[in-house]
Amino acid sequence: MDALAKSAYLTKEEHLPKPRLLAHPAAKTGLMGWLTTVDHKKIGFLYGFFALIFFLVGGVEALLIRAQLMVPNNDLLTAQQYNTLFTMHGTTMIFLAVMPLSAAFFNFVMPLQIGARDVAFPRLNAFSLWTFLAGAIILNIGWFLPQATHGAPDGGWFGYAPLTSKQFIPKHSIDYWVMGLQLLGVASIAASLNFIVTIINLRAPGMSMMRLPVFVWMTLVTSFLIVLAFPFITIALVEVMMDRNFGTFFFEVSGGGMPVLWQHLFWVFGHPEVYILILPAMGIISEILPTFSRKPLFGYPIVVFSGACIGFLGFAVWSHHMFTTGMGTVATAAFALATMAIAVPTGVKIFNWIGTLWGGHIVMRTPMMFALGFVWMFMIGGFSGIMHSAAPADAQQQDSYFVVAHFHYVLIGGSLFGLLAGIHYWFPLMFGRTVSEFWGKLSFWVVFVGFNVTFFPMHFLGLNGMPRRTFTYDQNLGWNTPNLIATIGSFILGVGIAIYFVVMVYTYFKGRLAGRDVWDGRTLEWSIPNPPPEYNFRVIPTIHARDAWWYEKHHGEEVEKEKAEHAKAEATHGGIHMPFQSIWPLVTSVGILIGAVAVSALDSNPAPGIHLRLGLALTGGVVMFLGIYFWALEGNEGYHLHLDENGHPINDDDAKH
Amino acid sequence: MFTFFPTLFRRGRVAIALAGLALLTGCDFNFWRMDGHQSTIVVDGPVARAQLEVFYVTCWVTLFIFIIVGAVLAYASLKFRARSDADEHAEPPPQGHGNPLVELGLIGGSVLALVIIAVPTLKAIWFTYDIPAEEKANAYEITAVGYQWWFRFEYPGEQATIDATTKMPLVTGNELVIPAGRPVRINLRTFDVIHSLWIPKLAGKVDMIPNRANFLWLKADKPGYYWGQCAEYCGDSHAVMRFRVVALGPREFNAWLDQQLQPARTLVPRPADTSRPRPQFAALRSFRQNESGVTEKFDVDPLESWRAKQAPEKDENAELVAQGRSLFTTKACITCHTVRGHAGAGVTGPDLTHVGSRSTIGAGLLENNREQLQRWLHDPGAVKPGNKMAKGYVDSKITLTAEDEVALVAYLESLK
Repeated sequence: MDALAKSAYLTKEEHLPKPRLLAHPAAKTGLMGWLTTVDHKKIGFLYGFFALIFFLVGGVEALLIRAQLMVPNNDLLTAQQYNTLFTMHGTTMIFLAVMPLSAAFFNFVMPLQIGARDVAFPRLNAFSLWTFLAGAIILNIGWFLPQATHGAPDGGWFGYAPLTSKQFIPKHSIDYWVMGLQLLGVASIAASLNFIVTIINLRAPGMSMMRLPVFVWMTLVTSFLIVLAFPFITIALVEVMMDRNFGTFFFEVSGGGMPVLWQHLFWVFGHPEVYILILPAMGIISEILPTFSRKPLFGYPIVVFSGACIGFLGFAVWSHHMFTTGMGTVATAAFALATMAIAVPTGVKIFNWIGTLWGGHIVMRTPMMFALGFVWMFMIGGFSGIMHSAAPADAQQQDSYFVVAHFHYVLIGGSLFGLLAGIHYWFPLMFGRTVSEFWGKLSFWVVFVGFNVTFFPMHFLGLNGMPRRTFTYDQNLGWNTPNLIATIGSFILGVGIAIYFVVMVYTYFKGRLAGRDVWDGRTLEWSIPNPPPEYNFRVIPTIHARDAWWYEKHHGEEVEKEKAEHAKAEATHGGIHMPFQSIWPLVTSVGILIGAVAVSALDSNPAPGIHLRLGLALTGGVVMFLGIYFWALEGNEGYHLHLDENGHPINDDDAKH
Repeated sequence: MFTFFPTLFRRGRVAIALAGLALLTGCDFNFWRMDGHQSTIVVDGPVARAQLEVFYVTCWVTLFIFIIVGAVLAYASLKFRARSDADEHAEPPPQGHGNPLVELGLIGGSVLALVIIAVPTLKAIWFTYDIPAEEKANAYEITAVGYQWWFRFEYPGEQATIDATTKMPLVTGNELVIPAGRPVRINLRTFDVIHSLWIPKLAGKVDMIPNRANFLWLKADKPGYYWGQCAEYCGDSHAVMRFRVVALGPREFNAWLDQQLQPARTLVPRPADTSRPRPQFAALRSFRQNESGVTEKFDVDPLESWRAKQAPEKDENAELVAQGRSLFTTKACITCHTVRGHAGAGVTGPDLTHVGSRSTIGAGLLENNREQLQRWLHDPGAVKPGNKMAKGYVDSKITLTAEDEVALVAYLESLK
């Protein structure tokens, strides 16, 4: 598609006078600037900011869990507190830390990599962010309410029926879990649709699908996984909500419900979710390894294809989480073989990453250290995954600490290392400052050592029969030493993470200013100044090769000529088109938050205060509909920017419609 | 958060002190042998062995791949590393995009490695699922039912005596006694939430799911004493939902069955008993939350320790036992528990007809001795948070004096 086609669309705009309520907010800075922003970079930053806060919360929860298990028969936490903590640790890390952190990169980096000026639906993007925050608030609201009747969720992140029914957990903790996950689902699906449309429609001219950076490909695959997988858990959560509040019998045994149905629905979502967590990290690694090896990704088509392949197969292996539910021989065998099959495309990626290093000039910077750490740790996690695919062996490992070790190798050694690598890698682009190599590498080694000291002994614990989700254990089972080592390791890991983020915060304020393209990058995001201007590209680039910026750097003159022509053409169409800011996505999300809190705290039988809460729920609904109404009414217009030679906007006011 | 954390800060100091203690007293650095009571590596039955063999296949194959791929990765990272500033700013290396032949070869190799794993996996899936046909005739059947947070074991083939005219299948709790050397088929049932029956040394776990007729099979090679635990999160006290398995040779198993099929043992007070001094009721010492209820002495020879529990205690006080028996009714224990031949037909809690002959109480949590029995009776909610007995005390306004507790302990202990 042609860069000029987009500006042609603008000629349809009508210029009617607006009522005052619909005046477009224009604050670029300050609180209102953040609350009304539709800029994908600011939204990406906010996603990352909130994700990191919840990452710290989840980390503290993990340290409390490890402190309780440090010695046998410990009494630091009560059973109830421990169960709440492991439930919230899992839920927080998956839905409130790793997923939004991935979304932060999707938002910030993906449009830059495809040469776009924003995502396809900027206001929907803001809505996704604020709805994610609403879901996160509801999930955590129970901490601040009376523990006996409310409390934070405590049914496990997997929420197996019928434990989540009112009969076994009458508190509202499960209602918050159900409602929180529902909102996160809404946010994730809206964001994913946005990313899919953006990648399909807003690629710069010449950016064919097979020239997309691998990170963009993984964004696309992950987004499809989210759109296809979340409906399953949405349905399942609605059913739990109905069972709890309206007397249905989806999972209630007394009425003929099938608890095992929950497991199927949950894991049809839950297994693709695992790939939703790891594929973005794989995409980041596939950007970093070529950059620091100074050569293209080895076997690009196969890496892309295997990513898509993992996405497809990810929907066909869910029952390997259920090998112990007595599925029978044939179903068990089928899911065991499908699970083994998924190891092939995963292994292919590792081979290609090694192939990328081979014959390169490897520059050992901190992002590269995290990326190599990722490859090593992900290999270990992958191999213990193959062990689980052998169903008879899994009968011993399932729900033991062996599984805990496995998925932390995949989720910390994999996803988290990938995301930490990504933060380091794109930090100079996002904030225009570079992180100290010494402190970066130090944090890497402390994290790396702490991580392995924590989770490697858990393999031994699991094989020695220690089950998961247990708040205490006796001293005579041979579990004391590995547990003590794991706890010590977890605090080392905590120190490493602390160093990492203290360094990041320091660099944000005081770091050395970075030049343009600090890593000698290969993809388009490095072609623009840092921090990126709000319009991203002064001229929409034309893509001639897979590593577009690398090509540009080595074919300087012809590209310059081409750009000048495009700039002239775009200027004649009115300049750079930017979307207006809007408050309505935020209003809509606030309405949803109010309504959802009221609904999940609502007792189905009339109790004192019911009118207040009913009224609150209705208020939330009204606010939400008002938000949507004004959102629709204000229209999808924008304004034009004209730039001077230094890239600064000129005649800003005149350019506005 | 403010309602959540106060207890935490109070307990923090204890944890730190304990950690220091653990470090000082030295640790067992042989943990890599993985030969504990719930080991999946040192196993005692054909099912667990089949599962272990598959594990070893996966382990060796993946270790082999890891060493090769890891070596190549390490070599590539070191060999192609830029060693100086000049290296870093040298002309970029050739911009190669890959090699299809290498890719196809590696894919082929991975598939081959997976086939090596897949074949024994498939064989073991069928073997571990059900008792082999030639052994079916010799199989023994037991039904295990999970409750929050204990296990009921039912022997459908054994008719236990209730009174002269009535019999019903034998029911025990939390201690599964099986014949050694015979395949045992365990039907898995639950009427509340999902549980999972796991005896690592004998067989991998299979879940107990409401509305689903699951089962597992296992065989103990020889007589022995095994540790088991619920393996699916089932609420507050999941961590302390445990049980024990005792495998006995044919003669001993039959002797045990004969004893269990009898109604509860009744102690006849001897004339001499009346002259004995009344026992002293020392207050129960206070227990830390989650304090261990097991001892090293028990572990020296657990099967012998179990056997020792089968014979009546030497210092039984018949008068006290009789007092305990009447309290068992008046304090409403009978609402939830059964002592076949004495009183009660409750099925909410474990059958206590022969509770004195079990080696543990509280679902494999505490050793069955006077102190631990009294600890349990004194405050069941402190031992097992959220359990029905603690709630029953509150709902029925049951209070036990120290004297009541000691009498009940004596009664329960007499139920051999």
